[in-house]
Amino acid sequence: MCAEAADPIIRIRGVHKWFGQLHAVRGVDLDVYRGEVVVIIGPSGSGKSTLLRCINHLETPDQGTIVVDGIPVTESKNINKVREEVGMVFQQFNLFPHLSVLENICLAQRIVRKRDRQQAAQIARDLLAKVGIPEKADSYPGQLSGGQQQRVAIARALAMQPKIMLFDEPTSALDPEMITEVLDVMLDLAHEGMTMVVVSHEMGFVRAAAKRIVFMDEGSVIEETTPEELFTNPKQERTKQFLSKILH
Amino acid sequence: MPDLERLEKLPRPATPGRFAGWDRWWLLFVVVGVLVVAMTVLWPDPYQRIVLFMTDGIVVTIKTTVISYLCILIVGLIAGLGRISKNVAVRGVASVYVEVVRGIPLLVQLMFIYYASPALVQGLGRSLLQGAPALHNLGQSMANFSIDPQIGAIFGLTFCYGAYVGEIYRAGIESIPKGQMEAARSLGMSYVQAMRYVILPQAIRTILPPLGNEFVALLKDSSLVSVVAVADMTRRGREFMSSHFNPLETWTMVALLYLLLTVFAARIVSYIERRSSYVR
Repeated sequence: MCAEAADPIIRIRGVHKWFGQLHAVRGVDLDVYRGEVVVIIGPSGSGKSTLLRCINHLETPDQGTIVVDGIPVTESKNINKVREEVGMVFQQFNLFPHLSVLENICLAQRIVRKRDRQQAAQIARDLLAKVGIPEKADSYPGQLSGGQQQRVAIARALAMQPKIMLFDEPTSALDPEMITEVLDVMLDLAHEGMTMVVVSHEMGFVRAAAKRIVFMDEGSVIEETTPEELFTNPKQERTKQFLSKILH
Repeated sequence: MPDLERLEKLPRPATPGRFAGWDRWWLLFVVVGVLVVAMTVLWPDPYQRIVLFMTDGIVVTIKTTVISYLCILIVGLIAGLGRISKNVAVRGVASVYVEVVRGIPLLVQLMFIYYASPALVQGLGRSLLQGAPALHNLGQSMANFSIDPQIGAIFGLTFCYGAYVGEIYRAGIESIPKGQMEAARSLGMSYVQAMRYVILPQAIRTILPPLGNEFVALLKDSSLVSVVAVADMTRRGREFMSSHFNPLETWTMVALLYLLLTVFAARIVSYIERRSSYVR
């Protein structure tokens, strides 16, 4: 095993985050390796989304260090360089409503990656085919279903050819029948070897794709294990309680 | 003045119709237009004479309004971005500007710029001549400073309305969900790029109705520049009245001409609004 493969692509050490009085993240250490799919679960308010948002610096950690692909996020002046390599998918999709689907996927390619119009559009169309909605290129986000919007959001992030994809509860705002279509796209990505950090309670996805699962509560990592271990033999009492609530 | 309540309303989706850009309020424009034409044709004396006398005033009013408005859109954008800046100094300057301007009547601001500011600059120039001979040229040009009425008027309107429009921009930008900025930044865009390509295009669509209101309000408030030696419609009307002693006919025609302009402007504004709305 060469040294590079052994180095984690994301290294989180001792990260704390306060929102006023609220101590949202309390000293988390976490490593994510290349090609790994890590799922973070935990009750609401446990700090899992905040931790995820610290990775691409949408939240600034108050303490601790985060290194992404060799670049220290917490010290870097040029945070945009890190963000170019880290795609993010949000619970609320956050597509740009004034732009068509194609323009949504092309915008950052053109102004950040400096690709020309044709090249960007070609990449966008290929990605739309990949997420299964090539016919929606000229629609506007407001004309799409939630599942379609989220798939466009994934395509938009992938167009930047990121090394890491972050998913912040990507299916929580979706109607049940649309969850599968988004999870299928995520599964494909996982099988292609994308490094993914996912905040989600979709246990089907966890079983099918997760290499590791991290259980967080009250800002701390309570348990970090494999999916099989978690479902068959959780070690912490707190984890058992949580699982019994979501796996009825 | 600014109608902030309308900011709360989102742009309505476009209603497809047979006549894009046509709505019943055009009828008001037609009625007023026909009335003005009929009056000038049926009673050439005094109405035709009034209109002919005022032609250059109409041009001055339109010119002053349009040029000021373009300047206001730029100054307002800078003020609005300044008000939401994370930099304390920038935010402070922008906030003081907005609060001071909002607290002084437009008429007084125009008076200050036209009458008081030349006196101020001249006084400074004279003391510079005495105190700093090295800066003789600068002191001399300041001591001889005078302000062109037209430029002073445009400057005054821009200064005042820039503050109000700045608040409209700020409200518009703040009305865009936080996730839009986060999505743009997470794709590697800088703050400026995200503002320019993602936030402002949406914010401007949202604030088109109040921005349009400001244009119509500006058109009317431009009549105030008549007191600082600009020969606009109002001033030309007063000149005609004092030489012909027919206040009723003069001010009826002046009022109708303003109405014609504002109704037309309001229709154009609403046309642009409908053209640029989109499905959310």
